[in-house]
Amino acid sequence: MLEAKDITINYGDRTAVANVSLLPQAGEITIIIGPNGAGKSTLLRALNGSVTPSRGEITLDGRSIFSYARRAVARRIAVVAQEADLRFPITVMEFVLGGRYALSGAWGWESEKDIAVARRVLRETELEGFEHRLMNELSGGERQRAVLARALATEANVYLLDEPTANLDLAHQATMLRLIRQRCKSEKCAAVVVTHDLNLGAEFADRVMLLKDGRVQSTGTPREVLTPDLLGKVFNLEVLVDAHPRTSAPRITPVYPEG
Amino acid sequence: MRMNPAREAYTTVQRTALVCGLLLLGLLVTFVIASTFGSQRLPLSASLCALTGKSDCGLSPEQQAILFDLRVPRILLAGAVGMCLAAAGAGYQALLRNPLAEPYLLGVSNGAAVGTMAALVFFGTHEWSRPLLAFAGALAATFVVYRLARGHTGASPERLILAGVIVTTFLSSAIVFITTLMDATRIRSFTFWLLGDLSGTTTSLLSIAFIAAAIGVAVLVINARGLNLMMLGERDAFDLGVEVSRVRLTVFVAASLLVGASVASSGSVGYVGLVVPHLVRLSFGSDNRLVLPAAAIAGAIFVIVADTVARTVIAPRELPVGAITALIGAPLFIYLLKR
Repeated sequence: MLEAKDITINYGDRTAVANVSLLPQAGEITIIIGPNGAGKSTLLRALNGSVTPSRGEITLDGRSIFSYARRAVARRIAVVAQEADLRFPITVMEFVLGGRYALSGAWGWESEKDIAVARRVLRETELEGFEHRLMNELSGGERQRAVLARALATEANVYLLDEPTANLDLAHQATMLRLIRQRCKSEKCAAVVVTHDLNLGAEFADRVMLLKDGRVQSTGTPREVLTPDLLGKVFNLEVLVDAHPRTSAPRITPVYPEG
Repeated sequence: MRMNPAREAYTTVQRTALVCGLLLLGLLVTFVIASTFGSQRLPLSASLCALTGKSDCGLSPEQQAILFDLRVPRILLAGAVGMCLAAAGAGYQALLRNPLAEPYLLGVSNGAAVGTMAALVFFGTHEWSRPLLAFAGALAATFVVYRLARGHTGASPERLILAGVIVTTFLSSAIVFITTLMDATRIRSFTFWLLGDLSGTTTSLLSIAFIAAAIGVAVLVINARGLNLMMLGERDAFDLGVEVSRVRLTVFVAASLLVGASVASSGSVGYVGLVVPHLVRLSFGSDNRLVLPAAAIAGAIFVIVADTVARTVIAPRELPVGAITALIGAPLFIYLLKR
């Protein structure tokens, strides 16, 4: 499995991430929250080996992530980043099949299994019938689901998701996170999700990491971390926390200053 | 935007084979028909007969000489040049994520031209030095444009074209400088050559162009799947398992080889790398496993047709083939830029 051991990441003389350790557990969703510039996305990119830590180590099954070929990393870790750059017309199916690259080789063509997996994840992300559509003709929400579908098509066992629900409406936000949770439970995968949506995080997270200025402020279950004190201190804003009437997950309500 | 409403959801190996097979057939037909055109028309059936290797086809010895000594080598060269430039264009476009990237507009052709001219001036007797220095020039120009275009936020399409303009104008002055070192009688033929001239080939340059086309296109096709993902951004491609820096370097070198070989044998034929990949994508989608080989074959057809026009419209005089390709390419460039 994937592990970050006491990593520090510097950009010039600015420290983006300081002494962070993270061990995503199989079957669990870990949510990373924190204000803008807290180092959440940088941490996520480091977990994938895209950013080299100045100190500390990222290991995959006990070995440094940098000792693997990119293809081998991509077979184990899938990333959902911000939107893709779509300057050429490509279909939704072609886009999702990109997720099979690490499995079916650099040279050659997709197998029947690749096609079947792509069709399945399109169904799961409610994009059935979109195979022929062009990516740049989709709405923001549809495109984001296609990005998630491509990540699921990798059949990796670690999922790193950067704001996977940013463009989605309320119902689709829940659908997407439920899908990630199901995948985690059934396939014993681990997911690390960066999000600004604290309530959605509270509902779906098994563990929460709260970051500020690149440092871990707190880590634990949603109930342990999502407290008025901690959140108020980190976000510099008064928040009320009560329990969701149905699920009893922490429910966060910001109190906006007047004027 | 695609003209074909019933587009395929994805490209299969069968579809690629079918498209490339049909294009190859088209190339063959173009080859035969082009061989009959010129300042002297040859009868189609007799030319076809002679091209298949038969001896008594009813062509006069003079016609026989026109066909085999002048037309066939020239059409072969046009085919090789078209193949090189269209495949290189498709490669640059995928790699730089820019539908406007094209060897001529990026200044890569001028880099190769400077290399070729340097070879002519300094190693005039060694023919092999021309493609070699052309390749070096193309490679150097490619890296300079790439470095210039890459800002902090990555290379925007406009920035890339501006970098291409800067490199092109700089290299143009280098070309002018080298031209002044030549004697006056050669200058006119060089001006012609700079615009793309297929008339002055030799067997060895023709073979080099073909070998380079074969190697370059093969290398690009091998990297086509990686390029498919790199078209969506290098970060995405890296996440999905592409060895981004290796693919980038390989494609740069292969594309420069293609441009170098083409320029060394025929000068700078512009816009082929823009027009042909664009039409191929419009008709068959963006999958580089199909686009690269199909663009190579369609590029051969395009340059053969353009050159046939160039040597017939004002026959017995000839136009440089680059003038014809630019006439078609420049309006398309404007259209793509405005889109």
